[in-house]
Amino acid sequence: MGKIFTVAWREFRDTALTKAFLFGAVIMPIFMIGLFIIVLPLLDTEDEPLQGTVAIIAPDDVVTELKVLYDSGDNAIQEQLQKLPDIVKNDPMAKMVLPRATEAEIEIEVFDSSQLEELKKQVQDGDFLACILIPKGIVKNLDSKELLEVFIPIEFSPDHTNFITSNVEKAVVNARLKRQGHDPNQVRSLLKRPRAHAMRIQEDGEVAADNKLARTLLPMAFLLLLWIAAFTSGNYLLTTTIEEKSNKVIEVLLSAISPMQLLSGKILGQAGVSAVILAMYGFAAIVGLIAFAMMDLVTFSQLGLFLVYFVMGYFMIATMMVAVGSAVSELSDAQSLMGPMMLIMMVPFMLWPILTEHPQGIVAVISSYIPPLIPFVMIIRITATTEPIMMWEILLSVVLGYLSVFCMVWMAARIFRIGILLQGKPPNIFQLIHWIRQG
Amino acid sequence: MNDAITLTSVCKSFGETKAVADMDLQIPKGALCGFLGPNGAGKSTTIRMIMSIIHADKGKVDVLGTNALAAKDRIGYLPEERGVYRKMKVGAFIKYIANLKGLRGSSLNKSIDDWLDRIDLPNVKKKRCEELSKGMQQKVQFLSAIIHDPELIILDEPFSGLDPLNTQVIGGIIEELHASGKTILFSTHVLHQAEEVCDRIVMIDKGCIVIDDEIVSIRKKFDPRIVQVEPVDETTDFSKFSGIRKQNAMDKDGNIDLFLEDNTEPITVIQEIASAIPVRSIQILKPTLTEIFINQVECNQGNEAAEETRELLTHG
Repeated sequence: MGKIFTVAWREFRDTALTKAFLFGAVIMPIFMIGLFIIVLPLLDTEDEPLQGTVAIIAPDDVVTELKVLYDSGDNAIQEQLQKLPDIVKNDPMAKMVLPRATEAEIEIEVFDSSQLEELKKQVQDGDFLACILIPKGIVKNLDSKELLEVFIPIEFSPDHTNFITSNVEKAVVNARLKRQGHDPNQVRSLLKRPRAHAMRIQEDGEVAADNKLARTLLPMAFLLLLWIAAFTSGNYLLTTTIEEKSNKVIEVLLSAISPMQLLSGKILGQAGVSAVILAMYGFAAIVGLIAFAMMDLVTFSQLGLFLVYFVMGYFMIATMMVAVGSAVSELSDAQSLMGPMMLIMMVPFMLWPILTEHPQGIVAVISSYIPPLIPFVMIIRITATTEPIMMWEILLSVVLGYLSVFCMVWMAARIFRIGILLQGKPPNIFQLIHWIRQG
Repeated sequence: MNDAITLTSVCKSFGETKAVADMDLQIPKGALCGFLGPNGAGKSTTIRMIMSIIHADKGKVDVLGTNALAAKDRIGYLPEERGVYRKMKVGAFIKYIANLKGLRGSSLNKSIDDWLDRIDLPNVKKKRCEELSKGMQQKVQFLSAIIHDPELIILDEPFSGLDPLNTQVIGGIIEELHASGKTILFSTHVLHQAEEVCDRIVMIDKGCIVIDDEIVSIRKKFDPRIVQVEPVDETTDFSKFSGIRKQNAMDKDGNIDLFLEDNTEPITVIQEIASAIPVRSIQILKPTLTEIFINQVECNQGNEAAEETRELLTHG
């Protein structure tokens, strides 16, 4: 056992305690989180209040409507934002995705259409904030092809542009409604769709709100976490095994330890590397969840099961990688054997939309018991489902998964024992099967 | 048990190729045994089976009273295809191999320093292996094979790629290790290297043992019964001396080979010649391992195989 740990420690040290790893897997994520935290407050800087005069060429009733709208500013948005809880209002990340209210103090001056060209120049010179051209036909005729144009200076901010244009559009609609004898506010109230809140009735009779977005994105986040942690260290395992073969150090190692000890040590060492990667990205994910006040989306039982499936997934990928690594002499030779393997391992990503939509469906249930897919499919199902997955299903998948891990380690050991000393032309898949039978 | 290595009816094939055929071999404890043969004779395959790196198709391999897997920590092995972790520091590499051989403790670092000095590699401990020359790397690998003070040392072509000076350094250490009671088996296809250091020789060809004996016995057994003389007078006729059945023409160094009759004692001929004519040198010609090996192949497999072997031995 001591020799296995010696190999494992070297494997871990020479992978995880290197500048390349520290930079790529540790410093970069920390740097990116740090950058995110630093940059967000900078993005939070609000525009200067919009003050000045707008030149307008428009029918009188539209001008009246526009005056009212500009005077009231972004009151509706302000009101909605005020209703939000403080934790969301003060969160820099949340502010990023919420609409922002524009402070405005705008005068309107009406002109004749013959003055348009002169007004454009004045806008360019900064005499007016903008020049708005609303042809009469647009208000009168709903099928009008005429253009509603707003001329603004080149440096006008997107928020200010949006404020000017959206109010112009709204003013035209209000004028149209009034001409038809309707009260625009009343019509708008009538058209406002009530929001339906899906409430799921739990087995104990309690009801819980349905969060569809979380149910879709959370499984992908867990899948990616599992994938990145297992595949990154699996790749290291592949390259270090090929390196040991190509630089001929393998025979020296095999004079001191058995192939099985070497294989075990390497897999164990890279498991440590995988755990470090998982911890790093997992920590980043938790920071993200806390920042978005979404920590309640993840339960402890989900985290516990994630660890169970992570270990399973790592061993499945690690055994495949080490078997491929031992069979080839060059990294480029590994591609032909990696191709079919990667294709299989992409299946959970392809199934993700189906699995999140129907986590208890037939596709989900069947793919839960196909060995290399088990950990990936199960983690999607567990995080996507609205009703708990039956305990027997989880137990069966865990038992099947770990039995598969045992078989895969056994097969990888047989390939490893033969392949590790061979040089030259890489074997094809049939030769690998022959090695398994022969080994 | 007095044998460090015992092979009984060992066979190994790779596909259609028979690498080792029904081999029986005993290497006594404390021997410095040369394992000789041309390239492709089956030396490395036999050594890999001795080390349990590959397994015999048939037969039994006994190493230090057990098998090599159980006795790995008591064996030092320098494989023919050797390598190092290129990015690893020299000291860390030797320490890692020593750890794998079960050697730990604070004395290990000092032992590494001492040995690096012994093989003329001071100040390389902190260097990465890739910074060393090929010859230096080879010495590091040799050191990692013996650092754990093994009972049995197996060296596969230990001198290949080394310059004469380093060959001398490594050769000296091998002799010292032998003197301290270690059993050493080293393979080479350069027969004269083995001739210089070994006390026992095992020669193999095409997976079969051709000769297996102590070097003194081999020399006696394969004595060509030739006296080589360098006369001062190049026109001397040696047929007048008794006991000489044939003489060769003078070679470019001025030597003449005199082939003795069956019952003639070489020393009598030497005394007779030395007292009769002036000579620059006169000696009993010792058989070279190369000639012995080729002769044996010729006896066992015919003239064509012998010529093939001569080609392999002279041109690698």
